[in-house]
Amino acid sequence: MDKQRFLAELRGALSGLPRVDVEERLAFYGEMIDDRMEEGLSEAEAVARTGPVSRIVSQTVADIPLSTLVRDRFLPERERGEKRARSEGSESQGRRRSGATIALLALGFPLWLPLLVAAFSVLLSLYITVWAVIVSLWAAGVGLWAGGLGGLAGGAFFACMGHGWQGLVLCGAGLVCAGLAIFWHFGCAALTRGAAVGTKMLFVRRRRAK
Amino acid sequence: MDIQLKRGLLDVCVLAAIKNKDSYGYRIIKDLRPYIELSESTLYTILKRLESARMLTVYSVEHAGRLRKYYRITPTGARRIKDFLTEWEEVASIYRFVAKEDRHG
Repeated sequence: MDKQRFLAELRGALSGLPRVDVEERLAFYGEMIDDRMEEGLSEAEAVARTGPVSRIVSQTVADIPLSTLVRDRFLPERERGEKRARSEGSESQGRRRSGATIALLALGFPLWLPLLVAAFSVLLSLYITVWAVIVSLWAAGVGLWAGGLGGLAGGAFFACMGHGWQGLVLCGAGLVCAGLAIFWHFGCAALTRGAAVGTKMLFVRRRRAK
Repeated sequence: MDIQLKRGLLDVCVLAAIKNKDSYGYRIIKDLRPYIELSESTLYTILKRLESARMLTVYSVEHAGRLRKYYRITPTGARRIKDFLTEWEEVASIYRFVAKEDRHG
């Protein structure tokens, strides 16, 4: 892949993020590719060493604070201003349109407010549900650790009391629990990271490619 | 390694890489390579964090017909390195004590 194609692909993938962040990152990666090429690498090699676009996107989303994404999602004032300036209509037309919009909003208030509140409640409950599942998975992980430690301690206790077989079985069960707990921990950590990035992605605006 | 600890270490590594001479992204990655492997996206995040914390400043210089961003350490950044060295001197002395006790045990 050449540099221009890579940067275009990256721009497309980052298009929902705040514009300033996107431009800064594109300049940064473009500079890196140029420096690598200056060192003697071919364009394709320099691009390949920069890493896959998907990894850059997930790291970028993880880096940008959720508050910035929300602000950019719901208060795109500057963009609206730019769009208005680009549109063919005159200023007075724009003002008339915004006046009509305000009147429509005021008249439709009894209808759209309950709908908005309902939609917000549904989204909030979904969000809470997802995180509740994650919290419960972590709790299950803690349970597995406790089971592991308890099994080992119980096994040792039984063995000391002269119940060798019972002790051995308990120790084995404890080891199985501890082994599962290790895998469980990594799974939960990945899921938590994914949920955090996924939450941010909800607030990433999708812009149409130019 | 603890994430916060690693983050702190990486910040200081990048500051050290620009301590004696202003540097640019690719150069920083190359200078740090013998000690720590940094990806571009990680470096970008660190540089932005350090810039927000006013530990470094950024300026552009024309190079081979294009603009290249250079990073310069600020007095706050230099102080961060000094603090790091002091803190880690304490950590090293605790480490020596723990290692000694462990050997004797």
